[in-house]
Amino acid sequence: MKFLRLIIWKEFTQIRSDPLTIRLIILPVFVQMFVLGYALTTEVKNITITILDRSNTPQSVSLVQDLLHNKLFRFAGYSTSEASCRAMLDAGDAKLALIIPVDFAKNLSAPSGADLSLFIDGQDANSSNIASGYVNSIVMGWSLSVLKAKLASYGLTVRNVLPVEVRPVILYNPMLRSTWYMVPAFAVILVTMITAILTAFSIVKEKENGTLEQLMVTPLSPVHVVLGKIVPYIIIGLFELTAVLASAMLWFHVPFRGNFFTVLLFGLIYMSSSLGVGILVSTVVRNAQQVLFLLWFILIFFLFLSGFFLPLENLPVWVQKVTVINPLRYFMFILREMFLKGSGFAELWPQGLAMLAIGAVVFGASLLTFQRKVS
Amino acid sequence: MNPRVRALIRKEIWHILRDWQTLLIVLAMPVFMMFLYGYALDVNISDVAVMVEDPAPTPETALLIRAIDESSLFKVEGVVNSVPNPDALFRQRHIKALFRFSPHFTADLRRPGSPASVQVLIDGSDQNLGTILRNAAEPFLQKCVLDLLHVPLPAAISVRQVILYNPQQKSAMYFVPGLMVVILMMISAMLTSLTLTREKELGTMEQMLVSPIRPAEIMMGKIAPYIALAAIDGALILLVGYFVFGVAISGSLLLLTCASFIYIFTALALGLLISTVSHKQEHAMMIVLPVTVMPTVLLSGFMFPLPSLPLWLQWLAHIVPATYFLEIVRGIILKGVGLVQLWRPMLVLGCMGLFLLAVSVRKFQVKQ
Repeated sequence: MKFLRLIIWKEFTQIRSDPLTIRLIILPVFVQMFVLGYALTTEVKNITITILDRSNTPQSVSLVQDLLHNKLFRFAGYSTSEASCRAMLDAGDAKLALIIPVDFAKNLSAPSGADLSLFIDGQDANSSNIASGYVNSIVMGWSLSVLKAKLASYGLTVRNVLPVEVRPVILYNPMLRSTWYMVPAFAVILVTMITAILTAFSIVKEKENGTLEQLMVTPLSPVHVVLGKIVPYIIIGLFELTAVLASAMLWFHVPFRGNFFTVLLFGLIYMSSSLGVGILVSTVVRNAQQVLFLLWFILIFFLFLSGFFLPLENLPVWVQKVTVINPLRYFMFILREMFLKGSGFAELWPQGLAMLAIGAVVFGASLLTFQRKVS
Repeated sequence: MNPRVRALIRKEIWHILRDWQTLLIVLAMPVFMMFLYGYALDVNISDVAVMVEDPAPTPETALLIRAIDESSLFKVEGVVNSVPNPDALFRQRHIKALFRFSPHFTADLRRPGSPASVQVLIDGSDQNLGTILRNAAEPFLQKCVLDLLHVPLPAAISVRQVILYNPQQKSAMYFVPGLMVVILMMISAMLTSLTLTREKELGTMEQMLVSPIRPAEIMMGKIAPYIALAAIDGALILLVGYFVFGVAISGSLLLLTCASFIYIFTALALGLLISTVSHKQEHAMMIVLPVTVMPTVLLSGFMFPLPSLPLWLQWLAHIVPATYFLEIVRGIILKGVGLVQLWRPMLVLGCMGLFLLAVSVRKFQVKQ
């Protein structure tokens, strides 16, 4: 126990003597969190649109007004021909081009209905889908108001005509803010970077400088050395977790409905996997550069398959099965559920158990590998 | 070429070849990322887990539930008679939405004047999914009910959509240009800054500086192999994009190559600049990530469409080289446009590179 205390103390002294490294690891993630907190709106806004109004009737003008009054669009000017619409899209001056045909007003009252053409810049499938969805819903809203006016002249209301009424209620994140969903997830990235990268760094540094061999000829066992190395990073990791939680609540006003100590406990379980990965990486690489390359590589891979950006349900089924061994996935899920839904042990124990199992395997393997490599 | 520079280039190539782990990562990463994106980046959401509360089951509600389950968007996980505490259900079953039919749903359906009501509870935690479900729920149920009652949909305005540049909406069309931008930046900026800082750390930089080689020659010799490496990566991305994901280049390959070299040059200059301010490899790496990789991913328009960002971030995006290069790459690959539309971003990119190079050469010389 005394050995352990000594080596922990040594490790803390080392961290203190090189404050730049730790700052350079923490800072980018915080910057990223703040930038993403604001940037990460998967909502699509300020879509540039050009309009070619061949009909030029009161009806078409009213529809155009409805579109342009909407804050989602930015008017890029009228076009005079289909070719000029196309040129504006080619040059990137507009993302959408709406073409109202000559017979628009006439066809509105015809049984076949009226037609509009919409040219969409489809480079980014996701945002072009959303943009065309906006146009569709505005056109639908406009035609509904026309329909309402027509019904009113017969003394009817829409409520009387439609057989079903749907009332959507949004739970947990009623304003549908992306920060509420994304910011808690950053805690996972930060904790992973702190624990995995710094642990691997500090072991590889000892290897590079030859001090690891010196440590091995002391009465310390390899297990002591590893435990001494990770304890400081566990403490720093828990502090980071608290810091992200605090900034999420105080700066981004994300409601925290769970229990703080439960978060720390789950964090601790999670760290057994991330620390284990860090130790494992340190045993196979030769220098600090390789540590970063390899861990960065691993992190991107696991982040992709964690549901951080894209819901896991979107992935092909076999990829979903692969994510079962991804500890990031569980911790991210746990944090989001705890933050927004206030879930606790009662609901989240299966995820916790999975993390524990993964952690035990990874950490155990890393201890064994380390022991074998150094002796 | 000057024999001193040639000797330096040979030395640097040896360095690269000796560190085969790094080389492997440099060559494998682009391919790996492409496959990851290729499989993971499916923007179509489907089979969202939902449940239905049906207090008074009738043939009509059964038909509706089947329609919900058979739709591509929803997947019914279960039907229950009553839900006293929806919150617990959301937390335990991890469903994304709960449809609640009113007890006299079927009776109201047939009676004119009183619409049958359905409440849809939606888990809004993931705002993206929440928005999709909220927007889809009402039109979807309306249509189901009208189908059920055999009422034809009233003819309204139909919007005929013409999708340009990527008519099949293939996600590969979107991530191949994006990855090109990200990977070229990573390789060029990261590797140059690391190799120069390593020489500093090991003290070999001083040895080279006291040799007859001039500082500008050292930089040239160190950079040249990485230009080649970045070019190989760029070609690799385009080849995998073409043969595996079917992304053809609709514009001029020559123009794309020219633009890529301008971009690589700018990225290398950025890497040089970083190497002049850092003394340790880890520090160089840690500066490279937030200064080059992060803005390239987040602010270039790759992940998020630029016009949607807040104004201050849009301004910030204008000093990120990747913003201009992405415009060029997408323009050439997807739109097939040429120099007429793209001379502006190319000019900006070139000026940025020259400026960064001038600053870093100056800093490099001042240091000596």
